[in-house]
Amino acid sequence: MVRIKERYLLVNILYPSEIGSRPDIPDVVVINQPTTDELTPVALMRGIRAEVAAFFGDHGSGAIEGAAFSVKYSSPATSTFIIRTSRASYRYVWTALTFMDIVPVKHGKPCTFQVVHVSGTIRKAEEEAIRRARNLIFAAQNGQSQRSADPLANMFGSSKRPTHEGAGADRFDVDDEESDVEMGEVSDG
Amino acid sequence: MLYDLNIAWSPATSRADLERTLKFSSTLGYDVVALNHTITPPIPPQITNPLPKFTNAPDTIPTSSTTRTATTSNASLPTVLHRATLLFADPSRNHGLPQLASAYDLLAIRPTTSDAFEKACVSITEASLISLDLTTKQPFHFRPKPCMAAISRGVRFEVCYAQVLSPGADARARAVFIGNVAQLVRATRGRGIVVSSEARKVLGLRAPADVVNLLNVWGLSTDKAREGLGALARGVVVNEGIRRSGFRGVVDVVGVAERGEADMAAGDKSKDGGGVGGNRKRKNGDGDGEPPQMSKRQAKKMKAALRQKEAAEKTQDKDTAMET
Repeated sequence: MVRIKERYLLVNILYPSEIGSRPDIPDVVVINQPTTDELTPVALMRGIRAEVAAFFGDHGSGAIEGAAFSVKYSSPATSTFIIRTSRASYRYVWTALTFMDIVPVKHGKPCTFQVVHVSGTIRKAEEEAIRRARNLIFAAQNGQSQRSADPLANMFGSSKRPTHEGAGADRFDVDDEESDVEMGEVSDG
Repeated sequence: MLYDLNIAWSPATSRADLERTLKFSSTLGYDVVALNHTITPPIPPQITNPLPKFTNAPDTIPTSSTTRTATTSNASLPTVLHRATLLFADPSRNHGLPQLASAYDLLAIRPTTSDAFEKACVSITEASLISLDLTTKQPFHFRPKPCMAAISRGVRFEVCYAQVLSPGADARARAVFIGNVAQLVRATRGRGIVVSSEARKVLGLRAPADVVNLLNVWGLSTDKAREGLGALARGVVVNEGIRRSGFRGVVDVVGVAERGEADMAAGDKSKDGGGVGGNRKRKNGDGDGEPPQMSKRQAKKMKAALRQKEAAEKTQDKDTAMET
């Protein structure tokens, strides 16, 4: 039995252009502020499709259309969502997200989309989302900026590289080496 | 350690904007950033560094140890370096480069003509980065030979992704950019490409993983792109640092050894003996408290004189004996 392979992208919406405008709130909270409720999954998908079409043309549009491209989870309160695409076309979606710089609604605020996790199963994406939300709360309480120990570890595997100490906002980044891209490719199927 | 060696700065940039950019880049996980001042020739005779200083920016030379301490002490801002990029059109006029290099932490050049590009690749030693505006069509091809010569000399090429992310870049500019990146990757086989942002506003910055994916789509493999954000960029910073602090980029003074107890005692004694001079440095080592130091040659001369004197006395004695 051949299984269709997928990728789940966990995406955060960040609002960096408002840093410093409100001195009573720590920067972490300003950056990770809630998104407007107008950003429904449908609006999000429309925005991503438009961007893929602009950047990859008909070829890109076709590639994500044939795949099971959908928004599996979206939470405007935490500015987080999970997207499912096929493994063959996840880089198109990712690139489109990188190129978007406003929230895809009417009069959308300027923002950036940061893909924080790529995994082969939705379970790992969900666990990562929970872990990040927890760390965010801790970071907001401490008033310090949220920094992961190794920003590239989630995407490309952290097991072989020595992780450096310091910036102790979250220590848990080290122990999630089983959920990355390479692992998904090997274990699926 | 992740590096972003290019955050665009101009005299019009406000400090609040800049601080916002720096804070966001720290949030995204960059540890060291460089503010970039683009200079159009001619180079002014009096070079001053107009880039704003930030509190935890190391005023001294950015060796690896200083950057590390700075980042751990204050997490809200990354370590800030100062960099100049010189627009370089005429390869015959580059005599201000060493002065320019000494005023900034990093020096990059942006060649705009074919001759200038060749020269930048092959012979210019002051700059360690070749930064190109990839959104415009270059009047030359990236041939493998000069490109590889540059990389084997230790010069790195820079790809700035915010050039294509900015709202000013239209479809044509994006196409030209991607074509240029593909050419550059082909000419260098992906080696020696440093990735940086050249963000003019805070929205031009992207997270490191997003950047790596972007370059992967454009034809640079994932591990090479990661290297370009980390190891290669670090190499540039450390090399430039040691070039400024060390002797010919080979020997560096890391720290001065502690003085031993015996040395301290000797120093105190000589100071006591110095008396009138106080803590001023004595000249020629002829203090009035202790016997003057004698050079070897002087000692030899004196010994010889003594011997001659003795010999003369002996002969005199003999003479007197003979007479009696």
